[in-house]
Amino acid sequence: MLNTPKARSRGYKPGERPWTACLYILPGFIIYAVFVLWPILDTLRYSFYEWSGFSSPSFIGLDNYIKLYSDEIFRKALVNNLWFIVFYTVFPIVIGLFLTALMTRRRLPGMTLFRTGLFMPYVMAMVVVGVVWRWIYNPATGPLNQALRAVGLDALARPWLGDFDLALPAVGVVGTWVQFGFCMVLFIAGVQRIDEMLYDAAKLDGANEWRQFWHITLPGLRNEISVAMVTTLIAALRIFDLVFVTTRGGPGNETMVVALHIYRNAFAINRVGYAAAIAVVLTIVIVIISVGVLALRQKWVED
Amino acid sequence: MKKLKQLTIVLLLLAVTFGLIPAPIMAQEGAACDADVIVQGDDWLSKIADKFLGDPLAFPAIVEATNAAAAADESYAQIDNPDIIEIGWKLCIPAAEAAQATLGENAVAAPTDGTVLTVWDIWTRGVDGQTIETLDREFEAAHPGVTINRVVKSFDDMKATAQLALSSDDGPDVAQINQGLSDMVALVQAGLLTDLTPYWQKYNWSERLAAPLAARNSVVGDGSAYGQGNIYGMAPTAEFIGVFYNKEKFASAGVEVPTTFAEFEAALETFKAAGETPIMYGNLDGWPAIHTYGELQNVYNPDQTYLDNFIYGRGDVSFDQPGNVEAAAKLQEWVEKGYFTQDFNGIGYDDIWPLFSNGEGAMYITGTWISANLLEGSSADQIGFFLVPPLEAGAAKPIVAGTSTAYTIRKSSPNQDLAAEYIDWMMSDRAMELWLEAGLVPVAPVESASIEPDTLMADMTQAWDQILATNSMGHYLDWATPTFYDTITASLQELQALRITPEEFVQQLQQDYAAYLAEKQQ
Amino acid sequence: MGQTELTNSTPGPTLSTGSRRLGRLSFKARDLPVYLILLVFLLIAIFPFIIMVFTAFKTSSELARGAFSLPEVWRWSNFADAWTQARFDRFFFSSVIVAIPVVLVSTALSVMSGYAFGRMTFPFSRALFFILLLGIMVPLEALIIPLYHNLRWIGLLDTYWALILPQIGMSVSFGTFWMRGFFAEVPQDLVDAATVDGCNSWDTLWRVLLPTAMPAITSMMVLFFVWTWNDFLLALVLISTESLRTLPLGLAFFQGQHTTNVPLVAAGATIVAIPAIMMYVAFQRQFIRGITGGSIEG
Repeated sequence: MLNTPKARSRGYKPGERPWTACLYILPGFIIYAVFVLWPILDTLRYSFYEWSGFSSPSFIGLDNYIKLYSDEIFRKALVNNLWFIVFYTVFPIVIGLFLTALMTRRRLPGMTLFRTGLFMPYVMAMVVVGVVWRWIYNPATGPLNQALRAVGLDALARPWLGDFDLALPAVGVVGTWVQFGFCMVLFIAGVQRIDEMLYDAAKLDGANEWRQFWHITLPGLRNEISVAMVTTLIAALRIFDLVFVTTRGGPGNETMVVALHIYRNAFAINRVGYAAAIAVVLTIVIVIISVGVLALRQKWVED
Repeated sequence: MKKLKQLTIVLLLLAVTFGLIPAPIMAQEGAACDADVIVQGDDWLSKIADKFLGDPLAFPAIVEATNAAAAADESYAQIDNPDIIEIGWKLCIPAAEAAQATLGENAVAAPTDGTVLTVWDIWTRGVDGQTIETLDREFEAAHPGVTINRVVKSFDDMKATAQLALSSDDGPDVAQINQGLSDMVALVQAGLLTDLTPYWQKYNWSERLAAPLAARNSVVGDGSAYGQGNIYGMAPTAEFIGVFYNKEKFASAGVEVPTTFAEFEAALETFKAAGETPIMYGNLDGWPAIHTYGELQNVYNPDQTYLDNFIYGRGDVSFDQPGNVEAAAKLQEWVEKGYFTQDFNGIGYDDIWPLFSNGEGAMYITGTWISANLLEGSSADQIGFFLVPPLEAGAAKPIVAGTSTAYTIRKSSPNQDLAAEYIDWMMSDRAMELWLEAGLVPVAPVESASIEPDTLMADMTQAWDQILATNSMGHYLDWATPTFYDTITASLQELQALRITPEEFVQQLQQDYAAYLAEKQQ
Repeated sequence: MGQTELTNSTPGPTLSTGSRRLGRLSFKARDLPVYLILLVFLLIAIFPFIIMVFTAFKTSSELARGAFSLPEVWRWSNFADAWTQARFDRFFFSSVIVAIPVVLVSTALSVMSGYAFGRMTFPFSRALFFILLLGIMVPLEALIIPLYHNLRWIGLLDTYWALILPQIGMSVSFGTFWMRGFFAEVPQDLVDAATVDGCNSWDTLWRVLLPTAMPAITSMMVLFFVWTWNDFLLALVLISTESLRTLPLGLAFFQGQHTTNVPLVAAGATIVAIPAIMMYVAFQRQFIRGITGGSIEG
């Protein structure tokens, strides 16, 4: 994304000037600049202020950032965000690849139904997702523990969202549940673009389906995989709604994430300046990780 | 020129129209008193107004008539402050029609024509909403030309949006704001709320809101201190923590309502031994534990002065107190003994009370705000209420208590007086009665005749009367510092999961508190 | 994925291959394990949704007897109650009023700016692109308070514009990223041929590239729709008038109002979820195809 695509070339008709490009960009960019970029710059500015959001701000230099350095909740939240990458990025991509391999092995009837159903979690509003999953995880009346007890696995019935060791995985599984359909759909589409002759040749060489997947499908999907990685990584680092509607960061601070910390500071205790500083740091982390993934991809493409 | 002429005519016409209205009032003001009254020991103005004019709100007419009479006849008292009347004063009671006219004049004085009063409240629950709607319609009927634009928000949504809105010129005129540092105090500090002190006097609100409750809504004008200073909010319903219990289960287990903490614990043990969940509990949301712990703290550390100082940040007190440690240890002990619902850390607040109201568990410790909901369950007629008892019978013990979030007025609202009148209406006897019917405890005492004996409501109002009489209002601990809510919810979850010791728990909270005091000093 | 309708007159850059595995539909016994595995995943994916819909048809007491059972009677009354009591009709209208312009305008603007970034060289293009990308990287929770003040200053607070315009801004950020990848992949021959035919850049985009881009655009539109439809935080902070509230906000409020009546809340949740699901089902063919085109090629 940040690197120049290979196929890039001039799209101008002779006689058109480079500023023609501006005409294409300008309308979208103006709306973006006024309603997104301007607040982003404000956020950067307010990160150097002490500001409640409704009083008049006072400049305090780097104090917010210094405070952030020793903020244990922030540190804990950042670590949790990294854990969420496992559930938001790793699992969905692995599951997505697995399902893609199954669904594109041969042309089978009924795949449209599966594709639609498997993507459905991604379409549901987070408010709805939260209501439903809190209910599923309810230790007393929820279907999950009911089912476990019904098959005699009482020992496995846990307080899920309230369990210090299990809360993050429990919330994370919901994240995986939401994201995997998105990855799968991306990969299925990618597979359609792989040249069939590669598979035919592999078959002639006697390669089994596993080898075909490993040597043809996977390399053929590297672009889709990197798109999925960047998108889900950003989602994992910006995660807010899911935690807000399930655990609100608890128990203790076991599921605390950076965006929730931002929200609490900005909306619950009126430390908008401090929240802005956290946001700036989080954005830098996101940029670094995204650029890192893209650099890795670049290497992969070149290999 | 032509336009100017038209304008002049219109202005003249307006002046004549409005000029005519006060005229008959002026004429009546000089009218003789309908009756004279000598102030007795237990009198106050609205009581006298109620007695003679049939309307407690008609007292301004008495004030006006008496002052007018005093000008001519010195035997009448001169009333400067309606809140303060003295025994032996001679008051002039105007004729009913004259009183009406005087009050009518006051009504005209408020800008009522085509005025829209925007009110943000948090009464989301169905019955509560109906109560407000009824009161709103009656207010509109009493103020022709005024429309109430009611916006309802959940507690969380209100917290997230009200402060921004109050800083806006088209924000709500009246908004229900949570008391405490990050809400009401921060807004006062930013100069966004109207000081209600003049209205407090005008409407005699001290009769509605007991002093410790008024302190909750009081902030020093610059926001530098909380719990004293000017009053910024008024709240209509009382909320306090206690024990809801299932009478049927108490009877069949032979358990009496406990009067000491030892008896209370014995009851818990009895139910536990009988295979019954002693205390229904769900703490996934974190905040219910604040109330459970708060009550235990009040048992083991019942020093009201200490608690007040701690909450209002006075006198550099510490949370690290033996009583607070003992309370934390007791909470852990209860967890270990299995007195709470199994897996309570994974159960939401809204998942647990329906179970109790449908007959599960022997007791349920929470606030009285839930009473109306509990009354919707299948075991509703079996539910009673008592306060967590002190260590020794009859000893003083604070009760975690307060009010609903408070009605405040946006400072930049153009409808200050009307907004205050609205708040006064929300605090009126009529409102109190409706809240009682809706199943919530009104903040001001009401005629006990309207309460059926042996009901949950009777138990709760009796408890509230006791709290009022002994002035033993404890605090919601999360008000201590802006970050205390997050700290205490997280720490309590850790404490109850037996991951930290009571000492560590107390130290975690003290760390937060000390940091706040240090920051405040700067 | 029938292949027939893919043979566009224009040689699509992304869709001309890929017929490999799309032979005749047939079912063989050895495919059974595949179906079983897929079925397990399908059940996991839709289980919460199914439970929600079942619950929406039950009574509270029926629900207490177990979550898995079918409702005794298909009670539509919960839906009717949710629709009228919760004013979902009004919220639905708000959601539509917001979603339609956001999807249409964002799409048009994203296509244009994605085209410029993907096919044209101009000064500072990489810097500009990076600035646009910030929009999908910055956490919204911090941005929203400055946004609130800006909108108030402009005078758009508590109007539909306060939801539409920022949502367009954020959508353009993602859409440019998405469409740029697609346009960058278009074979050079296609563009050259158009240039030789005397097309200027606008004609090239409009007549030559747009038809091949339709699938990528469709998928982007579905994503825009889903995001806008489900947005909560913007609506919570920027809208106060009740009649302007959108569905997710209405649902959250409704939930707080009827904590005891789970079936009623489930009915409300279903009402909120269905339009987005229908949107996806309706577009899903295009979507799957388009997602290929939309992916970013290097």
